[in-house]
Amino acid sequence: MLGRMEAAARMWHVGMTSSLHIRVLTLIVDAICPPPRRAALCDRAVGLCVQPELLNEAMAGVAGGNDFQWCFSQVKGAIDEDVAEADIISTVEFNYSGELLATGDKGGRVVIFQHEQESKNRPHLRGEYNVYSTFQSHEPEFDYLKSLEIEEKINKIRWLPQQNAAHFLLSTNDKTIKLWKISERDKRAEGYNLKDEDGRLRDPFRISSLRVPVLMPMDLMVEASPRRIFANAHTYHINSISVNSDHETYLSADDLRINLWHLEITDRSFNIVDIKPANMEELTEVITAAECHPNQCNVFVYSSSKGTIRLCDMRAAALCDRHSKFFEEPEDPSSRSFFSEIISSISDVKFSHSGRYMMTRDYLSVKVWDLNMENRPVETYQVHEYLRSKLCSLYENDCIFDKFECCWNGSDSAIMTGSYNNFFRMFDRNTRRDITLEASRESSKPRATLKPRKVSTGGKRKKDEISVDSLDFNKKILHTAWHPKDNVIAVAATNNLYIFQDKIN
Amino acid sequence: MKGQKRKFPPEDVEVSDRSSLTWESQRQFVFSVSLSKYQRGQELPEPSLRRSVLIANTLRQISLEASGAASVEASPGSSPSELPAEEEESVFTGVPSARHQPAEAVINGHSALSTGSMVSSGYSSNCVTTAISSILSALDSTIDGSPQAAPRTPLRSLENLSRSPEGSAAWVKQGVRGYGGGSWEPQEECRVRDSNVEVMWSSYLSDLTVEDLFQDIDTSLLERDMGVLGLRGSGGGFPAGEDLLRYLPPFSPASHPFSLSLNQNLKCLPSFSSFSPMSSSSSSSSSLSLPPSSLFSGHNHAREGLDLEHLMEILVES
Repeated sequence: MLGRMEAAARMWHVGMTSSLHIRVLTLIVDAICPPPRRAALCDRAVGLCVQPELLNEAMAGVAGGNDFQWCFSQVKGAIDEDVAEADIISTVEFNYSGELLATGDKGGRVVIFQHEQESKNRPHLRGEYNVYSTFQSHEPEFDYLKSLEIEEKINKIRWLPQQNAAHFLLSTNDKTIKLWKISERDKRAEGYNLKDEDGRLRDPFRISSLRVPVLMPMDLMVEASPRRIFANAHTYHINSISVNSDHETYLSADDLRINLWHLEITDRSFNIVDIKPANMEELTEVITAAECHPNQCNVFVYSSSKGTIRLCDMRAAALCDRHSKFFEEPEDPSSRSFFSEIISSISDVKFSHSGRYMMTRDYLSVKVWDLNMENRPVETYQVHEYLRSKLCSLYENDCIFDKFECCWNGSDSAIMTGSYNNFFRMFDRNTRRDITLEASRESSKPRATLKPRKVSTGGKRKKDEISVDSLDFNKKILHTAWHPKDNVIAVAATNNLYIFQDKIN
Repeated sequence: MKGQKRKFPPEDVEVSDRSSLTWESQRQFVFSVSLSKYQRGQELPEPSLRRSVLIANTLRQISLEASGAASVEASPGSSPSELPAEEEESVFTGVPSARHQPAEAVINGHSALSTGSMVSSGYSSNCVTTAISSILSALDSTIDGSPQAAPRTPLRSLENLSRSPEGSAAWVKQGVRGYGGGSWEPQEECRVRDSNVEVMWSSYLSDLTVEDLFQDIDTSLLERDMGVLGLRGSGGGFPAGEDLLRYLPPFSPASHPFSLSLNQNLKCLPSFSSFSPMSSSSSSSSSLSLPPSSLFSGHNHAREGLDLEHLMEILVES
């Protein structure tokens, strides 16, 4: 995508005919703009074509991140300071259309929000997300063999592409994956021949005539039912699930193994990666995340605690212990410390929507990798470099083990990840600009624009800046999600879910 | 992070100069923090594997850097500083083994802890007490510290006993595998612990063998009983002293202070009158089905042939 845009930009020169200008502009806009806004932007860009230097301005304004403004839309969750552990959100995920937004929490519950259509009389607002369905996905279990309790915390939710009126998602805790069907019921059959309205069988002798049930409308009811339970395949804790592009299989990864499942078959799974050493004493590396390629159903990647990513091709062998590609950035010897390995541990890996790039999150940075280049990332973004000098303290209080996630926007032009003090960061890949925003109740007035935040590192702290030592390390944003098409983001701050949108001018 | 007072505040800025005192103090701080984190993690019913691996790797890296740094310092007073590095390394080989199953590392943790204290408090005078605590922590198995793992067949442990060329190490190898209430270690973990314990032994106890410790035990009783029970093991040909120690039962998790654990452990040396003579024609297998309680009941009986005070004196004087 980046390449296409650059190529198109290079084609531009003043002497071109205006029709060619328009075609080039369209190419550029196509590359960087999310679909719903392309038409409007194309028009705007075309209007600028008489002054080509304004083209940059047009481009900059589009990509998710900076030149438009993020504003508060909604917040879900309790306000009071006392946070129940079970209410802490542990995963956030939009579905493929962006119509539904699912969250999982430590108490094993899944809450799904649905996007309401924009109202006709207030078109400048996007619609809101309201609760669509709530259900208990996982319960705490007890492993009698090991005398251990299995936590009900939902580690990941992944939606399946929609194939009929119902919605399907996979949710997983440490040990068990479940396929849930969420369906609507808005009609009820009334007038059964053999049953009363309350379901009791009628006395056959009383039945004198035949009547056929009639479907009557009823209040919308959303039902969630578990359709498959995929259990007993993981000895260690599941950290990732990923639906394959064939829409038939999915993979699940724990610390040492990755299994491939068929969505219809629950009693068998194929082990495709196993890094458990024969002698556990030799274990120095664990799997931290895994994901299927968005287009190629034979390709997947998994990241490790040593900061490496392995890309595997399932066509090569049944057991993909030998990688096809190995991504690792050589260590910078000048920044070596006792904690170098810990902070290099990758906490999340995500393919771009295009499938050309992947992004990894380690403790201090986000890296974008080109799948064609294994020896170093193409882009590196520092999330909170000011923490590098505090690693010792962060090691002591265990914050250094926090696992932050990251996400792409729909057009792959921007990336987002969380930080501490309820800050989250967005990076625009085109303009290389970044912004720090905060998810807090203070900035939660309807349609209030979010003010960029800054952390001061030096001695002098400017007004509105916050010093590193004042950061609240208990307020961490680990889970964020970006709408697949629009500039709408969902940010999980402990037990609250914040939804922000861009301001449509 | 706000308002926390640390006992040993390190410089937050990473010091790159390895020979400086600040680097050394930082290194020691990180080492001790890592060690306590690791142990606390292992004590959990289900330690996080990723976390344990990361902490263990950090410990390993620190140990390696320490030995690297120590060898560089060519000062006259360097021998005490070299020794802690060796110990850290040797101790550290013990650490990764216990990572993967719950509650197994205390055995290694104890010895590591004692080494840690050696590093900071100097070597010479603590040598003997440390050696003692490491012996006892080796005895102090935490295999069954938390109920875990599938029950293994009772035969397994004894079958795996092999004739051991190494003298003292073998004792521990066999002794640590006691009869447990259904909580056997899987075989690989046994081997792992053995090698760790052997390493610990080799660095601490070169001049102190197990035979020395148990010289004054009257094993005549044992030999008689052994003959009655037909308990000559599968390998055969063990020296009597080692046979005795084979039957050391496993112990409860070590949260005891030093002296208490010493008593506990020595009490648990079987008093052989408690072996109720089974039918003399019993094969090894049936005699192995002796319930553990029979061994533990020896716990409270007189420790025949064993004078606790005498033993302590020997240890302290050597």
